[in-house]
Amino acid sequence: MNEFHLTEDQQDCLQELINIAMGQASDQLARYLNTFVYLKVPSIESVAAEDLMKTLSQQKNTMAVVSQGFFGFEGIRGEALLVYQEEDSGRIADLLGYEPDELSQDEQLIDISSILTTTFLNVFAQQINNQLSYNAPKLLPNVQEILSEHLQQMPFTWDLALKVNINYQVTDYSFNCNMILLIPETAITNIKHVLDRILEEY
Amino acid sequence: MSPSVLICDDSNMARKQVLRSLPEEWKDSVQIACNGAEALTILRDNSIEILFLDLTMPGIDGIGVLQGIQKLNLNCSVFVISADIQPEMQSKVKALGAKEFMRKPVQTDALLNNLQQHGFL
Repeated sequence: MNEFHLTEDQQDCLQELINIAMGQASDQLARYLNTFVYLKVPSIESVAAEDLMKTLSQQKNTMAVVSQGFFGFEGIRGEALLVYQEEDSGRIADLLGYEPDELSQDEQLIDISSILTTTFLNVFAQQINNQLSYNAPKLLPNVQEILSEHLQQMPFTWDLALKVNINYQVTDYSFNCNMILLIPETAITNIKHVLDRILEEY
Repeated sequence: MSPSVLICDDSNMARKQVLRSLPEEWKDSVQIACNGAEALTILRDNSIEILFLDLTMPGIDGIGVLQGIQKLNLNCSVFVISADIQPEMQSKVKALGAKEFMRKPVQTDALLNNLQQHGFL
């Protein structure tokens, strides 16, 4: 978390807020899939804007990215990317148990992503006394070519990416995905203030 | 006399949230564990009456602690406080002997209510 420059207490506080948000997102996912989701402690790290493309292109088998914008007040806004690996795509389809003619794999991914992203962010926002609105989620096909273009076309300048590594294990299946939150400097400053305010209460 | 209390959570903030919710006169006799292994050591070497237990922890998790308590045949009332709120998890911890399940972030009135219901207040 170097770029974020968090103190140990701030880091602990942020991790706990994220754990709570992730717990509720998993609960929603479990209800949606009608199964149990085994939850590990999600690891969080920050990635500087200029390093993000490098980080993502290191994951050679990135299959799909679902991107969804969010905005609240006091400068809290950003873009949430859910990054899936190729080897997980079949598992996700199996898991969802959709018949081939029902929803396309693309739609399934968008569904799952939107559940995870909006539940996660709603709970997170609640805890920092904010409230968010969302754009429609968008699947970026042919990720390698399109992603860098997409990252440059954000409606705001983002300075930092907060990467939350999530591993979902669902009964016999497991799939990994990274949730990457692109956030501008003002949002980071605001989040730090809120962390301090929360910490002061203890 | 205040009961002997152990709070087990890997998050410092979460531990403080529990501590702050407890009756003032209990606070001197509260012990802290930062993970499941630490909790089991403390539980084995001390007689702990009340354990507030997180589930999602690195290493030995809350489920591991509950299993350890059964194995060691300890007489300790466990209150689980977790971010993993899935109904299946709630029934799982109850089946492993937990008295109550509380969702994070823990609310003082919920915690005190539960303590009262189990005769600690």
